[in-house]
Amino acid sequence: MTAVTESNGLWDTMYQGRAAFVRYWAYIGLMLGAVGLAMFAGDGYTESGYIFQLVGKDGLMWLGTGALLGAGLSIMASVLRPELVNGHIPKMMVPWFDGAALMVALMALLTLFEPAAGMVSYEDQANLFAGHVIMTMNVLFLFSAICYIAYLFAPDSFIGSMATAAAWGAIYAGGSALLLRWYESYLLLDGEIGHAPVSNIYEVFILLFCITTIVYLQLEKRYEAKAMGAFVLALVASGVFFGIWLDSVGQAEIKPLVPALQSYWMKIHVPMNFVGYGSFAVACGAGMAYLVRQWLEARNSKMVKVFPSLEALDQLAYKAVAIGFPAFTLATILGAAWAAEAWGGYWSWDPKETWALIVWLVYGAYLHVRISHGWHGKTLAWWTVIGFVVTVFCFLGVNMYLAGLHSYGRLS
Amino acid sequence: MPPMSKTTDYLKPIILRLSSMSLAITLLTVLALASVIGTVLLQNQDQADYLQQFGPIWYWVFRSLGLFDMYHTWWFLSLLGFLMLSLSVCLWRNVPRFLKEMRGSKVALSDSAMKHMKYSRHWDLKGTSTESVLLIAKERLKGWRLREEQRGDVSYIRADKGKYQKWGYICVHTAMLVILIGGWMSVQFGFRGNMSVPEGAKENEITFLKGTSTEYMKMPFDVRCNEFSIDFYPNGMPKEFKSNLTIIDGGKEVLTSDIIVNEPLYYKGVRIYQASFGDGGSKIRLKLFKLDGTGDVGSAEAKIYTTFKDETSGITLEMTDFRPHNVENMAELGKAKDFQDMGPSVDYVMRGPGLKPVKIRSFMDAFELNGENRGNFMQVSFSGNTKEFKNVALGLDLSNPQEWELMQSFITHLADTDLKDGQKANLQAFKAAMNDVFGEGKRPDNFQAMAMRVMQAVQVIPRLPWPYIPVLDDYDEKYYTGLQLAKDPGMNVVWIGSGFLVIGLCIMLYVSHRKLWLIVRRKGNDVSISFVGLSNRNPLNFNREFNEILSSMDDDMQQLKKGDRI
Repeated sequence: MTAVTESNGLWDTMYQGRAAFVRYWAYIGLMLGAVGLAMFAGDGYTESGYIFQLVGKDGLMWLGTGALLGAGLSIMASVLRPELVNGHIPKMMVPWFDGAALMVALMALLTLFEPAAGMVSYEDQANLFAGHVIMTMNVLFLFSAICYIAYLFAPDSFIGSMATAAAWGAIYAGGSALLLRWYESYLLLDGEIGHAPVSNIYEVFILLFCITTIVYLQLEKRYEAKAMGAFVLALVASGVFFGIWLDSVGQAEIKPLVPALQSYWMKIHVPMNFVGYGSFAVACGAGMAYLVRQWLEARNSKMVKVFPSLEALDQLAYKAVAIGFPAFTLATILGAAWAAEAWGGYWSWDPKETWALIVWLVYGAYLHVRISHGWHGKTLAWWTVIGFVVTVFCFLGVNMYLAGLHSYGRLS
Repeated sequence: MPPMSKTTDYLKPIILRLSSMSLAITLLTVLALASVIGTVLLQNQDQADYLQQFGPIWYWVFRSLGLFDMYHTWWFLSLLGFLMLSLSVCLWRNVPRFLKEMRGSKVALSDSAMKHMKYSRHWDLKGTSTESVLLIAKERLKGWRLREEQRGDVSYIRADKGKYQKWGYICVHTAMLVILIGGWMSVQFGFRGNMSVPEGAKENEITFLKGTSTEYMKMPFDVRCNEFSIDFYPNGMPKEFKSNLTIIDGGKEVLTSDIIVNEPLYYKGVRIYQASFGDGGSKIRLKLFKLDGTGDVGSAEAKIYTTFKDETSGITLEMTDFRPHNVENMAELGKAKDFQDMGPSVDYVMRGPGLKPVKIRSFMDAFELNGENRGNFMQVSFSGNTKEFKNVALGLDLSNPQEWELMQSFITHLADTDLKDGQKANLQAFKAAMNDVFGEGKRPDNFQAMAMRVMQAVQVIPRLPWPYIPVLDDYDEKYYTGLQLAKDPGMNVVWIGSGFLVIGLCIMLYVSHRKLWLIVRRKGNDVSISFVGLSNRNPLNFNREFNEILSSMDDDMQQLKKGDRI
């Protein structure tokens, strides 16, 4: 398995050299501007006020200054020291920033489809437009999953491209729908309940689908592991059905934040956690692909050819865990920091905390046996699958079955 | 392993065992499994509940294992201690070795080691010099740490990348040790407990659970709650819980501040958190609508958490809770939500001679449905469980005293009438009652609605088994604020450990130590060149990296070859 190095003219000009370098620093400036706005502008940061500052005159000034400063300084730097332009980090990060910018632009476009103010109310949220975008995401994810599974049986490059394209489409739909929900939360109850869209199980599920798929697509792009997509997207598709069910029982409504969740920590802790969960889902997909390939090999099936080699699948599972584990560790630490600020202690042996520890121990042990003991193959493939079952219990089961301080994630 | 030599022989196997990977994995697994128990079995509940749930035998077994406060039992703590021991021994054994490995490593490579390399390539060139080959190789290996050595006819170049990768291991395992030490410091030298302060009162003692018993601890200062307030969203959900606190230290007021959830107060190393709230003894006035036929209305006053006793009837009213708001969704299932505040309510338990004890939630305001006044109502539960409240619509709007009089009068007139036809009798009695209450021939504006309510009330009120109906009339609200006070001297240690943990993990997982060797052998006019590589992690990326260098190097070598021919 060799890595794919795509060479595409447009891609090269956009993501190489000075164009990437300057854009990278402009984005960094933009973000620093946003931080500066939160810290120093006007009345400072409030959950409900900040978003209006961002899109208002203040935002234009702070963010614009930041971006221009970043761009200007980087142009100067690139003239004075041209070798800086070929740095590794800008090249790596710029596509991500561009993607995020595109998502925000898409969200801005979608706000045009929002119904008139009189058509929506807190009591009746059925007319909000994000619901339609989420439904688009659902359809795209299901379509992508079907294509990926079809690809296993008919490894045609057209089907493969459709699967990947649909997955990207779903990510953009899901991401912009979440941003749109953020915006919509300000349309209800006079803007008093506005909050980031990571406050209930429905919203974080959408986040989980998107992150899982992004992590998977990165691995697919680099290591030509299309057959794995059938397993990862099958997991996502089953999640999509769960999401549709949640919507049908009224869990999709935008609700005010309980006081415990009103903290900037929520915006950091929750997404970071889902980077971990999403990566573990991808690892599970790789593990399943490994087990299926092994089973096919035993039966001398021709389908084996579609799959990456056993060694590669083993590596991919490890890679996904290697992305997820530090993210999950960081998320747990951030959670502890939040707990220290809100509950009076960084660790309370609350069921959610304890299960996070259990997940951490499971993957910690995985890394131990793999790195230090040199275990490979079937056992570890099963380990990633069972590890993901434990993970699912941690983020879903604990909220459903066990009481505790995370009870706001509960299905009500 | 230099430290090993100092230890005596009989300790050796123990140390080997303690630092072994199998022990580490066993410990992680056992810890994970043990942790599950504590999440499935609710911790620190009432002992009586446990006894009822598990029966005497299992209760005894679980209790002696400490499963009801599992994370503080000796065996769980010794598991953590054992983990610390294993980590320490592991570090002690491996760190010197790793440091040595990172500091110095051989440039030359033996032939047998070369054969084991997975990535290798050979070229044989005629009529070129070692120097020109080395020069080309150095150009291609820019960005790598290069070292050279010459041994007779053989020149070696060793290239390293990510050499400091072993620091990741050291960082992660030290960090775990630091975090565990921080946790131990928190438990050993810190405290965490609860304090309830009614508005206007002060308190300086916290309570906390130790094992299964409640313990008390004095704080070095007093906390006074000046005010507690709740801010609501328009839909009635709470938006903010806020306490205005004053810290009194040595009799002096030193600090006054607001705290809300997520924004604690910090004083003398103690953090004060907004944790809960409740009724702090609101003053309640109840109207007692007597059902003895006299139509009299008495009144009762009591604070929440106290009991009102009526000496004449022997009835007691134990006030248990007061709520200023009761927001309910009034819409039918599946329809758009319609939140309404039902107004203030008081919960009390009514007891008395010959009465079954009953828990009642009495609402102050009349209930309105679709803009229509449906009269007062209360919720009644004979089990005492608030989940089993049943609605009892009294029918009358008791805030209007005339309505109560009207019903009394109606009952009297209905008893007097000798009409056989129920409909007519009702009408006649109602007319007479109206004349009694409002004067001959006079009618209030909305008397039809009032008539409806009275008609409903006579079906309900006379049948109630109590001597009177206590209905909430007025209140003077007073909250208590539930604070959590904590001192945690280990916290910063934990944060330092956490920082190192994340950094260490990133180094450990994302950096791989890659080594390349270029071995140039000179045999007369010819050179034979070997290019081999090794990576301790991430073969997929190394494969790519090796092949990239290899292909460019291959081009160079072909060039050299061609050049030779010319």
